[in-house]
Amino acid sequence: MLTRSLSYAVVALIVMTGGVSAQQSADPQVTQGEETDSENLLERFSEESERFTQSEGEALYRTTCQACHMEDGEGSAGAGAHPPLANNPKMNSKHFVAGVILIGYHGMPGFSGMMSDEQVAAVTNYVRTRFGNDYPDPIAPEQVEALRPPDDSD
Amino acid sequence: MAMTPFHPSRRQLLAMIGQVAGAAAMYQAMTSLGFAAESGYSGEPDLQGPRGRRRVLILGAGVAGMLAAYELRRAGYAVKILEYQDRIGGRCLTLRGGDRYTEMGGHEITCDFEGDGYLNPGPWRLPVHHRAVFDYCRRLGVPMQPFINKNNKAYLHSATAFGGQPQRVGHVEKDMRGHVSELLAKSLNQGDLDETVSVEDREKLLEGLKEWGVLDSNYRYRVSDELGDVRGWEIRPGGGLMPDKKPSQPIDLSPLLHSGLWDQLFNFHDYLFEPPMFEPVGGMDRISDAFAREVADVIQLNARVIRIAQNENSVTVSYEDGGRGGTVHQETADWCICTIPLSVLVQLEVDCSDAMRKAIAAVPYASAFKVGLEFRRRFWEQDDWIMGGISYTDLPLVQIAYPNYGFLSDGPAVLQAAYDTSTAGRTFTYSWSTMTPQERIDAALALGRRIHPQYDTEFMSGTSWVWHRVDWSLGCYGEWTDDLRDAHYKTLCEIDHRLVLAGEHCSHIPAWLEGSFLSALDAIRRLDERENA
Ligand SMILES: Cc1cc2nc3c(=O)[nH]c(=O)nc-3n(C[C@H](O)[C@H](O)[C@H](O)COP(=O)(O)OP(=O)(O)OC[C@H]3O[C@@H](n4cnc5c(N)ncnc54)[C@H](O)[C@@H]3O)c2cc1C
Ligand code: HEC
Repeated sequence: MLTRSLSYAVVALIVMTGGVSAQQSADPQVTQGEETDSENLLERFSEESERFTQSEGEALYRTTCQACHMEDGEGSAGAGAHPPLANNPKMNSKHFVAGVILIGYHGMPGFSGMMSDEQVAAVTNYVRTRFGNDYPDPIAPEQVEALRPPDDSD
Repeated sequence: MAMTPFHPSRRQLLAMIGQVAGAAAMYQAMTSLGFAAESGYSGEPDLQGPRGRRRVLILGAGVAGMLAAYELRRAGYAVKILEYQDRIGGRCLTLRGGDRYTEMGGHEITCDFEGDGYLNPGPWRLPVHHRAVFDYCRRLGVPMQPFINKNNKAYLHSATAFGGQPQRVGHVEKDMRGHVSELLAKSLNQGDLDETVSVEDREKLLEGLKEWGVLDSNYRYRVSDELGDVRGWEIRPGGGLMPDKKPSQPIDLSPLLHSGLWDQLFNFHDYLFEPPMFEPVGGMDRISDAFAREVADVIQLNARVIRIAQNENSVTVSYEDGGRGGTVHQETADWCICTIPLSVLVQLEVDCSDAMRKAIAAVPYASAFKVGLEFRRRFWEQDDWIMGGISYTDLPLVQIAYPNYGFLSDGPAVLQAAYDTSTAGRTFTYSWSTMTPQERIDAALALGRRIHPQYDTEFMSGTSWVWHRVDWSLGCYGEWTDDLRDAHYKTLCEIDHRLVLAGEHCSHIPAWLEGSFLSALDAIRRLDERENA
C-alpha cells in the first residue's frame, strides 16, 4: 500500500548494496567497490535492445523471469499473483514451460521475439532444475522450435 | 408569464441542425463545435436513468470506475465501488516525499524527496485531442500546465556515437533536414526526378528546399551566418565588445545516420505527442483526487474482489475484507461494472460466457518501470540550458525527463531519470523490473552520469516504480495486437447478462487515460440503454 510516513525527513538514505550514493563517493576505497558493483548490476542488461544477449539459463532468469517470479521462484500474491515456479506441479511438463516462455500465459507476455530457441531451452532447463525442482528431462532447442507459433519469424 | 429564454445545449443544437439540414450539415457543425474527428468523446453522457431503484456495483476505484460512479449517480442510479487498495486512483498516481509502497516480493519503495518535486509512476502527459480527459478536468476543476514533450535543447545520446557526447535535439533535426534537402536538390538539379516532378514544380521545390534546409546558393548545406540563425551559434552574438558571433558547425550526414540519433527523433513524431501537451499542476493524481472528491463516499477500500456471480436479474460479488485471506463478504446489485485489469481478473472466478472468459485470458500485460532522482540543484537548467522536455539515449535508461514546473528555482528538483515500456519491443524494462528498489537507483545513477556527469555531486535520493511488481495491475497496460483484437475485443466489451467490463483494456487507446474514460462512458451508456430497453 502507498503510505505517507511522517518520519521521512529523518530517514537517512540507506544503501543496501554498494550503491552510488553521494556520501560514499567521497571515500576512494568505497568508490572502488561501487564501480565493480554497478558494473555487475549493469551486466544484467542485454547488450542489444531488441533481443536478450545472455545465453546461460541463470543469467536469462535473472534478467527476465525474476522480475515477476522473484529471486527464488517463489512468486508473489496480492490482489493478483505471479505463480511460484517452485513447488509447482505444472513444471512437470517441459513443453508447457517452454510454451509459456514463448507465447506468454494470461497476463504474462511471451518472449519468442526476444529469445532464440537455445535461450528458451536454457532458461526452461534452468527453472526445471532449480528452486527445489529436479526434473531429469531437459528440452532441446529443436523441441523449442517446434513449439513456436507458425508465423513466428524468431 | 415570464419568458424562459431557450439556451439549447450543444447536443440539442446539433439535433436541431440534423433535423433541419441533414446529417452532413450536422457533422460539419459537430466539427466546428470541436466534437467528432479527434476522439470518440461527444460530451457528457445523456443517460435516461433507472426505471426504479437500481443498484450498480463498480469494481475498482481507478479513473474508469470513478467516472462511471460519478455519472451513474448523477443519472439516479445507486452506486458502490469496491476497491482492493487502501487508496483511490488506480494507475493514476503520484509519488512525493514521505511515500512508502511495498511492492510484490516484499521490497519497500521509499520516496524521500525533500523539495516539492514528484514522480508520476504511470500517466504523466496528455495530448489535447484527448477530449474526454480535458473536459472532465475542466468540469472537476483540475488546473493544467504545459507539458514540454519536445525541447530542442534536450539531448539525443548514443553511447557509441560522437564519443558518447550527447547532441541537441534541434541540431540533429536541423542537420537531417539540411542534408536531406541538399540531396533532394541535387537529384532535382541533375534531372533525376524529371519524370516525377514537372518543371514548374521543380522550381518551386528548389526554392523551398533552399529556405527549409538552409542551403547556400549552390544548394549545399554548409556553415553560414544564415545557418547560425536557424541552428544556433558556436559563439553567440553578444553585447558591447564581446567577441564576434560564429555560427555552429553542422554534423556530417554519414556519422549522423550511423549514430542512430535520427531514429531517436521519431520519439517526438506521433500524433499523440504533438505539442503542446499538458499535465495537471502538482501531479497526475490531481485527476484521480478530483474524481474522489465527487465519489469518495461510495468507495469501500481494502475490499479484494474474488468472485463475480450472476443470474438473469442480479449480480453477487464476493470480496475479502482487508486483502487476500480476509473475511469474505458479499454484495448484490442489479448491474456490475468491472474495471479490474484483465491480468488480475483472469485469476478470479467470473460467471460469464466462455467467449468472454477467453477474451479475459487473452491479453498480455506490457512491462514498464520508472526511476525518479532528486538532485540538489537544477544543473540541467543552470549548466545545460534544458528547461523541461525529454532527452533520449540508447542506454538502458532510455529517457530522462526534466520537470516542466519550478523553472529556475533554487533547491532540490526531481528528474524522471529512467523510463521505458515494452511497447517498442525493447528488453530493458524486464531487466529493470528484476532489480531491488536500491539497485534501480544505482543503475539509473551509473548510466545517467554518462549524459549528465553532475549526477556524481548533486544526487540526493531516488525512488522507483515497477509495474509488474504491482499486485493490483500485474503490469502496465493490456498489450493488444490486431489479431487479438479481431478475435476478442468485441466480446470483451459486450454486456454479459448483468456484467460489463470497462477500463483502459476495453478501449482502442490502451495506456492512456482517455481510453479508460471513453470505455467507462460507453459502458454506462449501453448499460443505461439495456436498463431502459
Ligand atoms: C507507465 C504508464 C504510463 C502511462 N502514461 C500515460 C500518459 O502519459 N497519459 C495518459 O493519459 N495515460 C497514461 N497511462 C495510462 C493510464 O494510467 C491508464 O489508462 C489509467 O490510469 C487506467 O485506469 P483504469 O481505471 O482503467 O484502471 P486502474 O487505474 O488500474 O483501476 C483499476 C482498479 O482496480 C483495482 N483492483 C484490482 N484488482 C482488484 C480486486 N481484485 N478487487 C478490487 N479492486 C481491484 C485496482 O487497485 C485499481 O484501483 C500510463 C500508464 C502507465 C502504467
Ligand atoms: C512480466 C512478468 C513475468 C515475467 C517476466 C515472467 N512471467 Fe511467468 N507468469 C507471469 C504471470 C502473470 C503468469 C500467469 C498468472 C496467471 O495464471 O494468470 C505467469 C505464469 C507462468 C507459468 C505458468 C505457471 C502456472 O502455475 O500456471 C510459468 C511456467 C512461467 N510463468 C514461467 C516463466 C519463466 C520461465 C519466465 C522467464 C523466462 C517467466 N515466466 C517470466 C508473469 C511473468
